[in-house]
Amino acid sequence: MISIAVSSQKGGVGKTTVSINLAHAFARAGVRTLLVDADPQGSVGLSLTRQSRLLTGFYDYLADPGIPLERLIVPTRLETFSLVASGQASDYEAGGAGMGAHLARVRAFLRSVAARGFDLCLIDTAAGLFGVTGDVIASSDAIMIPQQAEPLGIRSVPKLLEGLNRLRVMNPRLSVLGVCLTMVQHDLAESTEAAAALRQLLPPEMVFQTQIPRDGLFVRASARGLPIGVLEDGAGAQAVFDALRSEIEMKLEPNGARG
Amino acid sequence: MTDPIYPWLDPIEVRRLAEGLMRPHREPTMTVEDAGFDQGFVGYATERPALPMVAQPPFPPQQNQQVVQPPASARVMSQPEQPATPEPTRARGPFLDRITRFRDWMHSQFSATGIFILDREGAVIFDESNHGRLHFLARSLALASRRQGAAGGNVHVKIGAGATLEVIPVDTAYGCLVLGAVVPDALPPASVAAVMDALALVSSPPNGNS
Repeated sequence: MISIAVSSQKGGVGKTTVSINLAHAFARAGVRTLLVDADPQGSVGLSLTRQSRLLTGFYDYLADPGIPLERLIVPTRLETFSLVASGQASDYEAGGAGMGAHLARVRAFLRSVAARGFDLCLIDTAAGLFGVTGDVIASSDAIMIPQQAEPLGIRSVPKLLEGLNRLRVMNPRLSVLGVCLTMVQHDLAESTEAAAALRQLLPPEMVFQTQIPRDGLFVRASARGLPIGVLEDGAGAQAVFDALRSEIEMKLEPNGARG
Repeated sequence: MTDPIYPWLDPIEVRRLAEGLMRPHREPTMTVEDAGFDQGFVGYATERPALPMVAQPPFPPQQNQQVVQPPASARVMSQPEQPATPEPTRARGPFLDRITRFRDWMHSQFSATGIFILDREGAVIFDESNHGRLHFLARSLALASRRQGAAGGNVHVKIGAGATLEVIPVDTAYGCLVLGAVVPDALPPASVAAVMDALALVSSPPNGNS
Protein backbone atom coordinates (compact mmCIF):
# COMPACT_ATOMS: atom_id res chain seq x y z
CA MET A 1 0.00 0.00 0.00
CA ILE A 2 1.04 3.56 -0.56
CA SER A 3 -0.10 6.52 1.49
CA ILE A 4 -0.29 9.99 -0.01
CA ALA A 5 -0.89 13.11 2.05
CA VAL A 6 -2.62 15.94 0.22
CA SER A 7 -1.37 18.98 2.06
CA SER A 8 -0.59 22.65 1.68
CA GLN A 9 0.82 25.49 3.68
CA LYS A 10 -2.15 27.67 2.88
CA GLY A 11 -5.85 26.95 3.25
CA GLY A 12 -8.50 27.25 0.57
CA VAL A 13 -6.33 25.94 -2.26
CA GLY A 14 -8.57 23.06 -3.25
CA LYS A 15 -7.13 20.20 -1.21
CA THR A 16 -10.49 18.59 -0.61
CA THR A 17 -11.59 18.88 -4.23
CA VAL A 18 -8.32 17.34 -5.39
CA SER A 19 -8.50 14.62 -2.75
CA ILE A 20 -12.06 13.54 -3.51
CA ASN A 21 -11.73 13.52 -7.26
CA LEU A 22 -8.26 12.06 -7.36
CA ALA A 23 -9.29 9.27 -4.99
CA HIS A 24 -12.31 8.62 -7.19
CA ALA A 25 -10.06 8.50 -10.27
CA PHE A 26 -7.84 5.90 -8.66
CA ALA A 27 -10.84 3.86 -7.50
CA ARG A 28 -12.37 3.94 -10.99
CA ALA A 29 -9.09 2.56 -12.29
CA GLY A 30 -9.46 -0.43 -9.99
CA VAL A 31 -7.13 0.74 -7.24
CA ARG A 32 -8.60 -0.14 -3.83
CA THR A 33 -8.67 3.36 -2.41
CA LEU A 34 -9.36 4.72 1.04
CA LEU A 35 -9.93 8.46 1.24
CA VAL A 36 -9.28 9.77 4.74
CA ASP A 37 -10.55 13.10 5.97
CA ALA A 38 -7.83 14.36 8.31
CA ASP A 39 -9.16 17.90 8.28
CA PRO A 40 -11.08 18.74 11.48
CA GLN A 41 -13.39 20.83 9.36
CA GLY A 42 -14.48 17.54 7.82
CA SER A 43 -14.82 18.77 4.28
CA VAL A 44 -14.56 15.36 2.65
CA GLY A 45 -17.25 14.00 4.88
CA LEU A 46 -19.42 17.03 4.37
CA SER A 47 -18.99 16.72 0.63
CA LEU A 48 -19.65 13.02 0.26
CA THR A 49 -21.79 11.89 3.16
CA ARG A 50 -24.81 13.60 4.60
CA GLN A 51 -24.38 12.11 8.04
CA SER A 52 -20.65 12.79 8.35
CA ARG A 53 -21.00 14.51 11.71
CA LEU A 54 -22.47 11.34 13.14
CA LEU A 55 -19.70 9.10 11.89
CA THR A 56 -16.82 7.86 13.95
CA GLY A 57 -13.74 9.06 12.15
CA PHE A 58 -10.05 9.70 11.98
CA TYR A 59 -9.77 12.01 14.97
CA ASP A 60 -11.81 9.63 17.10
CA TYR A 61 -9.32 6.92 16.16
CA LEU A 62 -6.43 9.14 17.23
CA ALA A 63 -8.10 9.96 20.52
CA ASP A 64 -9.26 6.46 21.43
CA PRO A 65 -6.94 3.48 20.96
CA GLY A 66 -9.92 1.20 21.51
CA ILE A 67 -11.57 2.10 18.21
CA PRO A 68 -10.79 -0.38 15.42
CA LEU A 69 -10.33 0.72 11.82
CA GLU A 70 -13.38 -1.28 10.78
CA ARG A 71 -15.66 1.10 12.65
CA LEU A 72 -14.39 4.03 10.59
CA ILE A 73 -14.67 2.73 7.06
CA VAL A 74 -17.63 4.01 5.05
CA PRO A 75 -18.19 2.08 1.81
CA THR A 76 -19.46 3.79 -1.32
CA ARG A 77 -21.37 2.55 -4.33
CA LEU A 78 -18.02 2.04 -6.03
CA GLU A 79 -16.63 -1.15 -4.56
CA THR A 80 -13.02 0.02 -4.70
CA PHE A 81 -13.73 3.38 -3.04
CA SER A 82 -14.14 3.81 0.73
CA LEU A 83 -14.02 6.77 3.06
CA VAL A 84 -13.01 7.60 6.58
CA ALA A 85 -14.68 10.74 7.89
CA SER A 86 -13.01 13.28 10.11
CA GLY A 87 -15.10 12.20 13.06
CA GLN A 88 -16.58 13.89 16.04
CA ALA A 89 -13.40 14.52 18.03
CA SER A 90 -11.53 17.62 16.99
CA ASP A 91 -7.77 17.91 16.87
CA TYR A 92 -7.95 19.65 20.25
CA GLU A 93 -9.89 16.80 21.81
CA ALA A 94 -7.37 14.45 20.27
CA GLY A 95 -4.56 16.08 22.18
CA GLY A 96 -4.06 19.67 21.06
CA ALA A 97 -1.94 21.24 18.40
CA GLY A 98 1.45 19.76 19.25
CA MET A 99 3.04 17.86 16.43
CA GLY A 100 4.42 14.44 17.22
CA ALA A 101 1.75 13.69 19.77
CA HIS A 102 -0.11 11.40 17.39
CA LEU A 103 2.71 10.07 15.28
CA ALA A 104 2.52 6.56 16.68
CA ARG A 105 -1.26 6.47 16.35
CA VAL A 106 -1.20 7.77 12.77
CA ARG A 107 1.32 5.11 11.86
CA ALA A 108 -0.83 2.46 13.51
CA PHE A 109 -3.75 3.71 11.45
CA LEU A 110 -1.80 3.35 8.22
CA ARG A 111 -0.62 -0.12 9.15
CA SER A 112 -4.23 -1.12 9.75
CA VAL A 113 -5.27 0.33 6.39
CA ALA A 114 -2.56 -1.69 4.66
CA ALA A 115 -3.57 -4.83 6.52
CA ARG A 116 -7.17 -4.26 5.45
CA GLY A 117 -6.06 -4.70 1.84
CA PHE A 118 -6.22 -1.18 0.47
CA ASP A 119 -3.78 -0.26 -2.29
CA LEU A 120 -3.92 3.46 -1.72
CA CYS A 121 -4.64 5.65 1.28
CA LEU A 122 -5.18 9.25 0.24
CA ILE A 123 -5.28 11.63 3.19
CA ASP A 124 -6.85 15.07 2.94
CA THR A 125 -5.13 17.08 5.67
CA ALA A 126 -5.82 20.40 7.31
CA ALA A 127 -3.83 23.39 6.05
CA GLY A 128 -0.38 23.93 7.49
CA LEU A 129 2.49 21.55 8.09
CA PHE A 130 2.20 21.20 11.85
CA GLY A 131 0.08 19.40 14.42
CA VAL A 132 -1.72 16.29 13.24
CA THR A 133 -1.03 17.27 9.63
CA GLY A 134 2.68 17.15 10.38
CA ASP A 135 2.25 13.73 11.91
CA VAL A 136 0.39 12.53 8.82
CA ILE A 137 3.11 13.82 6.51
CA ALA A 138 5.81 12.36 8.73
CA SER A 139 4.07 8.99 8.42
CA SER A 140 3.14 8.99 4.74
CA ASP A 141 5.00 7.59 1.75
CA ALA A 142 4.39 10.62 -0.38
CA ILE A 143 2.93 14.09 -0.43
CA MET A 144 1.27 16.14 -3.14
CA ILE A 145 0.66 19.82 -2.72
CA PRO A 146 -2.29 21.60 -4.32
CA GLN A 147 -1.40 25.23 -4.92
CA GLN A 148 -3.88 27.87 -6.00
CA ALA A 149 -2.73 29.72 -9.12
CA GLU A 150 -2.78 33.21 -7.69
CA PRO A 151 0.05 35.50 -6.56
CA LEU A 152 -0.64 35.37 -2.83
CA GLY A 153 -0.59 31.59 -2.85
CA ILE A 154 2.70 31.45 -4.72
CA ARG A 155 4.30 33.65 -2.08
CA SER A 156 3.68 30.95 0.47
CA VAL A 157 5.88 28.51 -1.47
CA PRO A 158 9.15 29.26 0.40
CA LYS A 159 7.43 28.58 3.70
CA LEU A 160 6.02 25.37 2.29
CA LEU A 161 9.44 24.20 1.10
CA GLU A 162 11.08 25.01 4.42
CA GLY A 163 8.41 23.06 6.26
CA LEU A 164 8.75 20.09 3.94
CA ASN A 165 12.52 20.07 4.35
CA ARG A 166 12.08 19.87 8.09
CA LEU A 167 9.52 17.11 7.85
CA ARG A 168 11.78 15.19 5.52
CA VAL A 169 14.37 15.04 8.25
CA MET A 170 11.73 13.26 10.32
CA ASN A 171 10.62 11.12 7.40
CA PRO A 172 13.54 10.70 4.97
CA ARG A 173 11.49 8.32 2.83
CA LEU A 174 8.87 10.95 2.08
CA SER A 175 8.52 11.24 -1.67
CA VAL A 176 7.50 14.71 -2.83
CA LEU A 177 5.25 14.09 -5.78
CA GLY A 178 4.99 17.77 -6.51
CA VAL A 179 2.82 20.82 -6.62
CA CYS A 180 -0.48 20.72 -8.47
CA LEU A 181 -1.80 24.05 -9.69
CA THR A 182 -5.47 24.48 -8.85
CA MET A 183 -8.23 26.97 -9.58
CA VAL A 184 -6.43 28.01 -12.75
CA GLN A 185 -8.37 30.65 -14.64
CA HIS A 186 -7.19 30.92 -18.20
CA ASP A 187 -9.21 34.06 -18.75
CA LEU A 188 -7.49 35.88 -15.90
CA ALA A 189 -3.98 37.20 -16.51
CA GLU A 190 -3.02 37.17 -12.82
CA SER A 191 -3.90 33.49 -12.60
CA THR A 192 -2.01 32.38 -15.70
CA GLU A 193 0.97 34.57 -14.76
CA ALA A 194 1.05 33.08 -11.28
CA ALA A 195 0.98 29.59 -12.77
CA ALA A 196 3.81 30.47 -15.14
CA ALA A 197 5.82 32.02 -12.33
CA LEU A 198 5.53 28.89 -10.23
CA ARG A 199 6.62 26.71 -13.12
CA GLN A 200 9.64 28.92 -13.66
CA LEU A 201 10.44 29.01 -9.96
CA LEU A 202 10.39 25.29 -9.23
CA PRO A 203 12.16 22.39 -10.92
CA PRO A 204 9.98 21.04 -13.75
CA GLU A 205 9.61 17.65 -12.09
CA MET A 206 8.18 19.33 -9.01
CA VAL A 207 5.14 20.78 -10.77
CA PHE A 208 2.47 18.49 -12.19
CA GLN A 209 1.75 19.05 -15.86
CA THR A 210 -1.93 18.59 -15.08
CA GLN A 211 -3.65 21.72 -13.83
CA ILE A 212 -7.04 21.86 -12.17
CA PRO A 213 -9.18 24.62 -13.67
CA ARG A 214 -11.64 26.71 -11.73
CA ASP A 215 -14.96 25.27 -12.79
CA GLY A 216 -18.52 25.64 -11.62
CA LEU A 217 -18.86 21.89 -11.97
CA PHE A 218 -16.91 21.44 -8.74
CA VAL A 219 -19.48 23.50 -6.86
CA ARG A 220 -22.31 21.50 -8.39
CA ALA A 221 -20.62 18.22 -7.57
CA SER A 222 -20.05 19.29 -3.99
CA ALA A 223 -23.66 20.42 -3.65
CA ARG A 224 -24.84 17.00 -4.74
CA GLY A 225 -22.30 15.14 -2.60
CA LEU A 226 -20.60 13.49 -5.55
CA PRO A 227 -17.20 13.28 -7.19
CA ILE A 228 -17.23 15.38 -10.32
CA GLY A 229 -16.81 12.37 -12.58
CA VAL A 230 -20.22 11.11 -11.53
CA LEU A 231 -22.03 14.17 -12.90
CA GLU A 232 -23.69 13.79 -16.28
CA ASP A 233 -21.45 16.45 -17.79
CA GLY A 234 -18.42 15.66 -15.66
CA ALA A 235 -16.48 13.58 -18.17
CA GLY A 236 -14.16 16.44 -19.10
CA ALA A 237 -13.29 17.21 -15.52
CA GLN A 238 -12.87 13.53 -14.78
CA ALA A 239 -10.34 13.35 -17.60
CA VAL A 240 -8.29 16.00 -15.79
CA PHE A 241 -8.12 13.85 -12.67
CA ASP A 242 -7.40 10.75 -14.72
CA ALA A 243 -4.41 12.62 -16.14
CA LEU A 244 -3.33 13.60 -12.64
CA ARG A 245 -3.63 9.98 -11.54
CA SER A 246 -1.45 8.87 -14.44
CA GLU A 247 1.20 11.42 -13.56
CA ILE A 248 1.25 10.22 -9.97
CA GLU A 249 1.55 6.61 -11.05
CA MET A 250 4.50 7.51 -13.25
CA LYS A 251 6.15 9.40 -10.41
CA LEU A 252 5.69 6.56 -7.97
CA GLU A 253 6.80 3.66 -10.09
CA PRO A 254 10.38 4.75 -10.81
CA ASN A 255 10.91 5.28 -7.10
CA GLY A 256 9.50 1.89 -6.25
CA ALA A 257 7.41 3.66 -3.66
CA ARG A 258 4.41 1.59 -4.40
CA GLY A 259 4.32 -1.55 -2.36
CA MET B 1 7.86 37.97 -15.40
CA THR B 2 5.29 38.42 -12.73
CA ASP B 3 6.48 41.41 -10.74
CA PRO B 4 3.93 41.04 -7.92
CA ILE B 5 5.39 37.61 -7.04
CA TYR B 6 9.13 37.68 -7.49
CA PRO B 7 9.92 40.59 -5.19
CA TRP B 8 8.53 38.43 -2.38
CA LEU B 9 10.74 35.47 -3.13
CA ASP B 10 14.38 34.55 -3.37
CA PRO B 11 14.24 32.38 -6.51
CA ILE B 12 17.69 30.88 -5.93
CA GLU B 13 16.85 29.88 -2.39
CA VAL B 14 13.46 28.51 -3.42
CA ARG B 15 15.09 26.45 -6.16
CA ARG B 16 17.69 25.13 -3.73
CA LEU B 17 15.02 24.03 -1.27
CA ALA B 18 12.91 22.50 -4.01
CA GLU B 19 15.76 20.57 -5.58
CA GLY B 20 16.69 19.19 -2.19
CA LEU B 21 13.18 17.87 -1.80
CA MET B 22 13.11 16.25 -5.21
CA ARG B 23 16.25 14.21 -4.68
CA PRO B 24 15.49 10.56 -3.98
CA HIS B 25 15.51 9.79 -0.33
CA ARG B 26 18.73 8.65 1.22
CA GLU B 27 18.67 5.56 3.30
CA PRO B 28 18.82 6.56 6.94
CA THR B 29 22.43 6.58 8.04
CA MET B 30 21.46 5.51 11.51
CA THR B 31 18.65 3.78 13.26
CA VAL B 32 16.27 5.46 15.65
CA GLU B 33 18.23 4.02 18.51
CA ASP B 34 21.54 5.14 17.01
CA ALA B 35 20.23 8.66 16.80
CA GLY B 36 19.67 8.65 20.52
CA PHE B 37 15.95 8.08 20.40
CA ASP B 38 14.10 5.51 22.36
CA GLN B 39 10.93 3.87 21.10
CA GLY B 40 8.93 6.79 22.42
CA PHE B 41 10.33 8.96 19.63
CA VAL B 42 8.14 11.65 18.28
CA GLY B 43 9.26 14.63 16.27
CA TYR B 44 8.47 18.27 15.96
CA ALA B 45 9.72 21.45 14.37
CA THR B 46 8.78 25.03 15.19
CA GLU B 47 9.34 28.45 13.79
CA ARG B 48 11.96 30.89 14.93
CA PRO B 49 10.71 32.89 17.91
CA ALA B 50 10.51 36.65 17.77
CA LEU B 51 9.95 37.37 21.42
CA PRO B 52 12.31 39.28 23.70
CA MET B 53 14.71 37.80 26.19
CA VAL B 54 13.10 37.01 29.53
CA ALA B 55 15.82 35.29 31.57
CA GLN B 56 19.05 36.69 32.94
CA PRO B 57 22.37 35.84 31.28
CA PRO B 58 24.47 33.07 32.84
CA PHE B 59 27.29 33.53 35.35
CA PRO B 60 28.98 31.08 37.77
CA PRO B 61 31.76 29.03 36.11
CA GLN B 62 32.61 25.33 36.47
CA GLN B 63 35.24 22.94 35.09
CA ASN B 64 35.69 19.48 33.55
CA GLN B 65 33.98 19.85 30.21
CA GLN B 66 35.29 19.12 26.75
CA VAL B 67 35.71 22.50 25.14
CA VAL B 68 37.13 23.22 21.71
CA GLN B 69 37.63 26.74 20.51
CA PRO B 70 35.85 27.51 17.26
CA PRO B 71 38.22 26.78 14.37
CA ALA B 72 39.93 29.59 12.56
CA SER B 73 37.85 28.85 9.49
CA ALA B 74 34.70 29.47 11.47
CA ARG B 75 36.06 32.74 12.76
CA VAL B 76 36.69 34.15 9.31
CA MET B 77 33.34 33.02 7.93
CA SER B 78 31.56 35.78 9.74
CA GLN B 79 32.79 39.11 10.94
CA PRO B 80 32.26 39.76 14.64
CA GLU B 81 29.11 41.71 15.27
CA GLN B 82 27.76 43.56 18.23
CA PRO B 83 25.80 41.08 20.38
CA ALA B 84 22.11 41.73 20.62
CA THR B 85 22.13 41.46 24.40
CA PRO B 86 23.92 43.83 26.74
CA GLU B 87 27.40 43.11 28.05
CA PRO B 88 27.44 41.68 31.56
CA THR B 89 28.82 44.07 34.13
CA ARG B 90 31.47 41.75 35.57
CA ALA B 91 34.56 40.46 33.78
CA ARG B 92 33.54 37.57 31.51
CA GLY B 93 36.71 35.48 31.60
CA PRO B 94 37.99 33.10 28.92
CA PHE B 95 35.81 31.13 26.54
CA LEU B 96 35.77 28.00 28.70
CA ASP B 97 34.47 29.92 31.70
CA ARG B 98 31.83 31.68 29.70
CA ILE B 99 30.55 28.54 28.04
CA THR B 100 30.43 26.60 31.31
CA ARG B 101 28.53 29.47 32.90
CA PHE B 102 26.14 29.25 30.01
CA ARG B 103 25.86 25.49 30.59
CA ASP B 104 25.06 26.02 34.26
CA TRP B 105 22.54 28.66 33.39
CA MET B 106 20.83 26.24 31.02
CA HIS B 107 20.73 23.67 33.80
CA SER B 108 19.28 26.03 36.36
CA GLN B 109 16.86 27.97 34.17
CA PHE B 110 15.55 25.21 31.94
CA SER B 111 16.44 21.99 33.78
CA ALA B 112 18.68 20.99 30.89
CA THR B 113 20.32 17.65 31.55
CA GLY B 114 22.95 18.13 28.91
CA ILE B 115 24.02 20.51 26.20
CA PHE B 116 26.37 20.49 23.27
CA ILE B 117 27.42 23.11 20.77
CA LEU B 118 28.44 22.49 17.16
CA ASP B 119 29.87 24.87 14.62
CA ARG B 120 28.38 25.21 11.16
CA GLU B 121 30.65 22.45 9.86
CA GLY B 122 29.37 20.06 12.50
CA ALA B 123 32.54 20.15 14.60
CA VAL B 124 32.02 19.92 18.34
CA ILE B 125 32.70 23.18 20.15
CA PHE B 126 31.44 21.97 23.51
CA ASP B 127 29.97 18.74 24.73
CA GLU B 128 29.38 17.92 28.32
CA SER B 129 29.23 14.24 27.36
CA ASN B 130 26.71 11.50 26.60
CA HIS B 131 25.06 13.26 23.69
CA GLY B 132 27.41 12.36 20.87
CA ARG B 133 24.74 10.31 19.14
CA LEU B 134 22.53 13.38 18.89
CA HIS B 135 25.09 15.54 17.07
CA PHE B 136 24.21 14.32 13.60
CA LEU B 137 20.50 14.72 14.21
CA ALA B 138 20.93 18.21 15.62
CA ARG B 139 23.00 19.37 12.70
CA SER B 140 20.60 17.84 10.17
CA LEU B 141 17.65 19.54 11.79
CA ALA B 142 19.46 22.85 12.01
CA LEU B 143 20.43 22.71 8.34
CA ALA B 144 16.93 21.74 7.31
CA SER B 145 15.44 24.66 9.17
CA ARG B 146 17.93 27.19 7.91
CA ARG B 147 17.35 29.49 4.97
CA GLN B 148 20.25 30.78 2.99
CA GLY B 149 21.17 34.24 4.20
CA ALA B 150 18.82 34.06 7.14
CA ALA B 151 18.89 32.62 10.59
CA GLY B 152 17.36 29.21 11.06
CA GLY B 153 14.51 28.46 13.37
CA ASN B 154 14.69 26.35 16.45
CA VAL B 155 13.56 22.78 16.22
CA HIS B 156 12.66 20.39 18.94
CA VAL B 157 12.41 16.64 18.89
CA LYS B 158 11.00 14.51 21.63
CA ILE B 159 13.62 11.85 22.19
CA GLY B 160 11.94 9.91 24.94
CA ALA B 161 9.71 10.10 27.95
CA GLY B 162 10.43 13.42 29.62
CA ALA B 163 13.30 14.29 27.31
CA THR B 164 13.26 16.67 24.38
CA LEU B 165 16.22 17.70 22.26
CA GLU B 166 15.96 21.41 21.58
CA VAL B 167 18.09 22.45 18.61
CA ILE B 168 18.75 26.16 18.38
CA PRO B 169 20.89 27.67 15.62
CA VAL B 170 22.45 30.90 16.85
CA ASP B 171 24.33 33.50 14.82
CA THR B 172 27.43 34.45 16.75
CA ALA B 173 30.70 36.20 16.16
CA TYR B 174 32.07 32.79 15.12
CA GLY B 175 29.35 32.20 12.57
CA CYS B 176 26.33 30.03 13.12
CA LEU B 177 26.61 27.74 16.12
CA VAL B 178 24.10 24.98 16.75
CA LEU B 179 23.10 24.45 20.34
CA GLY B 180 21.63 21.11 21.32
CA ALA B 181 20.02 20.95 24.74
CA VAL B 182 18.25 18.02 26.32
CA VAL B 183 15.38 19.49 28.31
CA PRO B 184 12.27 17.99 29.91
CA ASP B 185 9.88 19.79 27.55
CA ALA B 186 10.12 21.94 24.46
CA LEU B 187 11.13 25.49 25.33
CA PRO B 188 8.59 28.25 24.77
CA PRO B 189 9.51 30.91 22.22
CA ALA B 190 10.50 33.50 24.83
CA SER B 191 12.92 31.05 26.42
CA VAL B 192 14.39 30.14 23.05
CA ALA B 193 14.95 33.82 22.36
CA ALA B 194 16.68 34.18 25.73
CA VAL B 195 18.92 31.19 25.03
CA MET B 196 19.84 32.59 21.62
CA ASP B 197 20.75 35.94 23.10
CA ALA B 198 22.72 34.34 25.91
CA LEU B 199 24.73 32.06 23.62
CA ALA B 200 25.44 34.92 21.24
CA LEU B 201 26.66 36.92 24.19
CA VAL B 202 28.95 34.30 25.70
CA SER B 203 30.31 33.44 22.25
CA SER B 204 31.26 36.99 21.42
CA PRO B 205 34.99 37.61 21.90
CA PRO B 206 35.71 40.35 24.46
CA ASN B 207 37.67 43.09 22.73
CA GLY B 208 37.79 41.00 19.61
CA ASN B 209 39.56 38.03 21.30
CA SER B 210 38.19 34.88 22.89
